[in-house]
Amino acid sequence: MMAESLIKAATKPSLESLIRLLVLLAGVALLVVGLLFPLVTMLLKSLQDRAGDFIGLANFAHYFQTPALVNSIANSLRVALMTTGVVVGLAFLCAYGITRTCMPGKRLFRMLAILPILAPSLLPAISLVYLFGNQGFLREVLAGQSIYGPIGIVMGMSFWIFPHALMLLTTALTNSDARLYEAAEALGTPKWRTFLTITLPGVRYGLISCLFVVFTLAITDFGVPKIIGGQFSVLATDVYRQVVGQQNFQMGAVVSVILLLPAVLSFIVDRWIQRRQVAQLSARAVPWQPTLSPLRDWVFALLCYAVAGAIVLVIGTAVYASLVQFWPYNLSITFEHYTFQGMADGGWGAWFNSLKLAFSVALVGTLVIFFNAWLIEKSEGFRPLRQGLHFMAMLPMAVPGMVLGLAYIFFFNQAGNPLNWLYGTMMLLVLNTLVHFYTVCHLTSVTALKQLDPEFEAVGASLKVPFWTTFYRVTLPVSLPAVLDISVYLFVNAMTTVSAVVFLYNSDTRLASVAVLHLDEAGYFASAAAMAVLIFLTSLVVKLLHAALTHVLLNNAQRWRQAT
Amino acid sequence: MPPTMTSPLSVSTAATPRATTTHLSIDGVSKRFGSFTALDNIALEIQEGEFVCFLGPSGCGKTTLLRTIAGLTRQSAGRLTQRGKDISMLPPQARDFGIVFQSYALFPNLTVFNNVAYGLRNRRVERARINDRVAELLALVNLTGSEAKYPAALSGGQQQRVALARALATEPGLLLLDEPLSALDARVRGHLRSQIKALQARLGVTTIMVTHDQEEALTMADRIVVMNHGVIEQVGTPAAIYHQPASAFVASFIGSMNFLEVTAQANRQALLGNTPCACLPHTIAVGQAAQLAIRPEAVALSLQARALKHQAGALNGEVVSIEFLGAFQRVTLRLPEDHQTLIADVPSRDSSKLSLYVGQLLAIHLPAEAARLYAAGSSQQ
Repeated sequence: MMAESLIKAATKPSLESLIRLLVLLAGVALLVVGLLFPLVTMLLKSLQDRAGDFIGLANFAHYFQTPALVNSIANSLRVALMTTGVVVGLAFLCAYGITRTCMPGKRLFRMLAILPILAPSLLPAISLVYLFGNQGFLREVLAGQSIYGPIGIVMGMSFWIFPHALMLLTTALTNSDARLYEAAEALGTPKWRTFLTITLPGVRYGLISCLFVVFTLAITDFGVPKIIGGQFSVLATDVYRQVVGQQNFQMGAVVSVILLLPAVLSFIVDRWIQRRQVAQLSARAVPWQPTLSPLRDWVFALLCYAVAGAIVLVIGTAVYASLVQFWPYNLSITFEHYTFQGMADGGWGAWFNSLKLAFSVALVGTLVIFFNAWLIEKSEGFRPLRQGLHFMAMLPMAVPGMVLGLAYIFFFNQAGNPLNWLYGTMMLLVLNTLVHFYTVCHLTSVTALKQLDPEFEAVGASLKVPFWTTFYRVTLPVSLPAVLDISVYLFVNAMTTVSAVVFLYNSDTRLASVAVLHLDEAGYFASAAAMAVLIFLTSLVVKLLHAALTHVLLNNAQRWRQAT
Repeated sequence: MPPTMTSPLSVSTAATPRATTTHLSIDGVSKRFGSFTALDNIALEIQEGEFVCFLGPSGCGKTTLLRTIAGLTRQSAGRLTQRGKDISMLPPQARDFGIVFQSYALFPNLTVFNNVAYGLRNRRVERARINDRVAELLALVNLTGSEAKYPAALSGGQQQRVALARALATEPGLLLLDEPLSALDARVRGHLRSQIKALQARLGVTTIMVTHDQEEALTMADRIVVMNHGVIEQVGTPAAIYHQPASAFVASFIGSMNFLEVTAQANRQALLGNTPCACLPHTIAVGQAAQLAIRPEAVALSLQARALKHQAGALNGEVVSIEFLGAFQRVTLRLPEDHQTLIADVPSRDSSKLSLYVGQLLAIHLPAEAARLYAAGSSQQ
């Protein structure tokens, strides 16, 4: 043991490992400042009174003695569970249609089905008001029920969460082994038994994971209940009301802690499932190919296109609403609402801010997250640091946007914090958004990196090439598709998010998504719709550019990707 | 003086024997992963220009030792000295070696040219000299004309040769090969084996190859290091390893070997059942259980009638099965006394004299100079 410690002490750090250490420390510092410190500050705030003195759990006691607040827990659970049921049910059927039937128009359906991701969650809420609200043209459908409340919230959330569930379940259902189905058929197993004994067990992990992801998204969403919730309050809107409406930061912190619980629980379950899911599918599995079955194929096609129709209807309504003069009395078309007269400082400035934020996050975030993942995955030494960084990279998934935003107020707006100057700046918005969406990008990077030959770095080192050269000449180009995916994911999310940033802007850095909220609050519904549509179109254009770029790059890369 | 980058790789300059100077010495190297000991106090000297194979079953520590030499794994204790310089604490970048991995780890997005030039680029070498050097290396591995191809367009054997050229490009003093042939099919493997060996002899570069394939080790190595459970079992030339295995493990791991349960007798003697057998000198105490090891090709069979019944080492056996293996026939015999089985390889031209059939009773002769005694129970791998 003596000899070992001597060896460690005698290790001379080379320039390269020194640089590696510094970059690693920078990555850790980023997440400590951007995630850990704010969260800890928020937890402490929930245990303090207004004067900042420690009062234990008194705030929580007060919370649970206030029926108006405690009701929100039940409300949140109710809408989240209903949304989960609707979304996972529909998404499973549609995913089954895509992967296990020969229904026509699969590609078109998949394209239409991901459109909601490109819109802020405020957009479906606005559309639903136009469709089913007091002056909506489909209000009879609700048979006297009000859209302002749980019905509207569930419908709005279902709209924008659906693509997430569809992608997860499509992936789960794609992994099938034809040999199992052939064996079942050879044994004369009826179709329903095959479904119960082969299909369902095959997707069980994907299904459970999907249930939790949907539930978390639903319970933490802020945009939909804010616009369409009416008097029906949920946890996420309570945080906003306590902080922005009543300036009661302590109670905001308490609600945040409560909102954190389901997200953390879901995070733990998801991690546990991921660990069990290792190599369910053997390398020799033969993918299952559906055969024609006209009745089944058309039933699934009808179902999928009903869903796609609903999506197009919601988006189309928002577009239409943003273009008509004065709903429903004067339906002549105008671009007037796109001048955003409801906003004192002009809405296009907010849109421009969002664009700046989205581009910055996409650029900085992609580089930082991918490089950090590379350090964690592919470098030697500093094991505790690398593990710590990985743990912190996984954490943001468990932190709802509202909680993160409030935590940033607490931490960066403290009088004594040397980083106080960041508050309200674009830099802080970039940091916040980067951290908010860190985990998915981190996981994408790690997956891509794990597919590379583990010895690339060793070969580079043996040829005396510094690690950064191997990184940009080999690792980065080979992982380019994943890197592009990350950047477009960050761009779209930065463009559409409202929950965290709603606490962090100032008059110079107001964002488009926040502007939608303000226009709606001020009664400029058509302008709110116009801004939401503008965000949607921006995301759509970037997404299309990304698709084109990926296509070109992959075509170029075909020369080396394809084995001959 | 080592050849410079652009100097011609002629046989006369490259293969100058330097065989008396030590290139690498490994001194008391150990590596522990938690409670598992992967390397246990390894000591080894490798001479300049030598081709050494680390041979052993999977998990024996041979790859860990190679990675330790490369600096990719840091030893828990011990010292490594290369050409008189202590490299124990140096990172891989600061050590002088080239390496070919089992997976080759060719950069898929770079052409063959750029793969081979990868390490040269970094040294601010003029472009024209890089071009010359790459052309020279590709000629060396018979891949001239493939410069613009991508690795995915090459066969496994070609990829392997590109990896070799890339590792040699920077003229390392030490070439490390980690199971370089195991991903290839048998025919290509045999061909590449002799190519690599010829190339190594021509360049005179000190080479260490890790392999679990004994045939590969026997045909390519100047010296073989047989490893098991993190320790070195034996170091020696292929002939010495094959003919004078130092332990029952080495005897069983290299080639085929019969192990017969015997009782040790006084020097050069053992008792097989009740039959005395002569063997090489041993150090096992009289009366101790032991194993007598003898290679199938050393076992001599003869017809019953002509057997010398009372000669020491003469036994009888009944033929249980006969396998035809082309150049020879593998005969499995049962010894009548205690039902032990013995395998004998009979060259095809001898087998006709015996007119072998199952159930036949044959006389067996175990030549003393081929019979070694090991302590009982020591052959487990």
